[in-house]
Amino acid sequence: MSLSPVHFIAVPLLAAFLIPIIGRFSKELVKIIPGIVLLYLSYVAISLFPVALDKPIIEVLSGWQPPFGISLVYGPLAAFLTALITLMGFVIWIYSYKFIIRKPIEKYYMLFMLLITGSTGIILTGDIFNMFVFLEITAIAAYSLTAFLRDKDGAEAAFKYLLIGSFASAFFLLAVMLLYANTGTLNIAEIASKIDTVSMSTRVLILILFLVGLGIEAELFPLNGWAPDAYSQAPSPIGAAFGGIVVKAAIYALMRLVFLLFNFSEVFHFLLIMGIITMIIAEMSAMKQHQIKRMLAFSSIGQMGLVVIAFGVGTSDSVQAGLFQMFNHAVIKALLFFAAGYLVFHSGSKNISALDGLGREKPITSFFFALGALAIIGLPPFAGFWSKLYVLVSVADSGLITAVVLVLIASVIEAVYYLRVVSRLYFNIEIKTESEVRKTPASGIFAMGVLALVIVAVGIYPDYLWNILKPAAEELVNKAEYIRIALLK
Amino acid sequence: MVYYISGILLILIGMYAVLTKKNIIKIVIGLSIIGSGLNLLLIAIGYVKDATAPIFSNDTLKAADMVDPVPQALVLTAIVIGFGVTAVALALVIRLYDHHKTLNINKIRQLKW
Repeated sequence: MSLSPVHFIAVPLLAAFLIPIIGRFSKELVKIIPGIVLLYLSYVAISLFPVALDKPIIEVLSGWQPPFGISLVYGPLAAFLTALITLMGFVIWIYSYKFIIRKPIEKYYMLFMLLITGSTGIILTGDIFNMFVFLEITAIAAYSLTAFLRDKDGAEAAFKYLLIGSFASAFFLLAVMLLYANTGTLNIAEIASKIDTVSMSTRVLILILFLVGLGIEAELFPLNGWAPDAYSQAPSPIGAAFGGIVVKAAIYALMRLVFLLFNFSEVFHFLLIMGIITMIIAEMSAMKQHQIKRMLAFSSIGQMGLVVIAFGVGTSDSVQAGLFQMFNHAVIKALLFFAAGYLVFHSGSKNISALDGLGREKPITSFFFALGALAIIGLPPFAGFWSKLYVLVSVADSGLITAVVLVLIASVIEAVYYLRVVSRLYFNIEIKTESEVRKTPASGIFAMGVLALVIVAVGIYPDYLWNILKPAAEELVNKAEYIRIALLK
Repeated sequence: MVYYISGILLILIGMYAVLTKKNIIKIVIGLSIIGSGLNLLLIAIGYVKDATAPIFSNDTLKAADMVDPVPQALVLTAIVIGFGVTAVALALVIRLYDHHKTLNINKIRQLKW
């Protein structure tokens, strides 16, 4: 059987359909199948990576040549992001293996598989309506997973998310419709080659609709009201999946469309300003939070703000730095959510104040949390340092000193609230009398260990990853090349 | 033209319902009205005056006599997606009612920014 990008969509989708049926016979098999699927997908992603770097793969589905049929475009950027998503998915599965013990276990894994299908679909598809469909698959899985714990707040967070998400998809569909009415095609590359014939006012209208539609999933200010609720009420591995998978797919879609269809400089200025506002507001809100997962959610929004700043600068270097930051955000935020999940579980409360002295009782989990916190602030031996540095350098290269200053201020705020939690973990040791000893399962420690290792390894050898990102960034910036490749010319 | 206007009107009516109604069932109905409006608008884009359905039912039909089939295919997909979203929304409404014993959205707000 030859490997093909179609597997990224077909295999998890098939697994999602089979899991409820298999669940009738064996609960244990249900837990194992997603792991096998994600391991296989990671294998496909890694073995196709060099192929895509060499020459992008265009997968034509059911014999209809582009621009008429739906095609999958698997270039360096898509290869990088699918590899990131499938590997993150695998780590999240390892963590979930012992963490999710609540009853409708087959539903959890089914929805998780759908989340993977939708996110990889958004990244791979070369057809804009198909992108809408995958966006909806992702969104529906995400709504349901938010409410997975069946508690009061979970249902409310999920409903809020659904309300905002439905608005987003309505706007997205409207934008797709306007594009089709004006260009007569749905293939993204074909649209990009014809977009200059569309009048400027229509283009701006379409851009606004896309910004609202995708900005909601990508957590842009002021459309991110759903994020803190959804992150804090969903099970912890799903918080990691939102930050590591869903948001990445959405920001990819937004950036791909902006670079292909709306690449005039005002748009990039706008993105830059929105990124700065998002980052500052999110970091200040994170400062005020009393619950650890809400704090992480706001910090996640802030990090996405930094990514948008990097894309907003719009040069090849800054895009590369933005992709690096996306990678780091996925890995580090997942580690923080994993550790926070068990810290919340051990302390029995979601509040930061309940974490006093856990550093002594739960040394391993606390250590991982502290490592993640230091990495995301951007201290030198860890991965977060390099991406922040590269983003700042690329912003400074474009002469935007104000932006550099604002990002640095936001970083200071970030350091304050993360170190506050870390200091509570290690230095507030007074209380804690009996407290039943609940051990962190091996699967959780293993998942966190892998992520911590990646953070340190990338921190020490950033050049390796940095070089991989170069062709990906160039693919995103180079519009003409994408059109040529995707249309098989 | 009348299809365009009615499609846009439906979207606006739906948005009005979502933004102003307090009852969460009405909000879900509003969402589904937005969806219907979008679907109507999409069909209207592909409509050609006096044209027939895009099926080669007899030999005399030419492609120029038919409406654009692409929007129709899109709308079928969009309807199914809308159905799925509405089902999830109603399931969440049931669960919210179980927990809060009310459908008034002002009384449900516990989470805040």
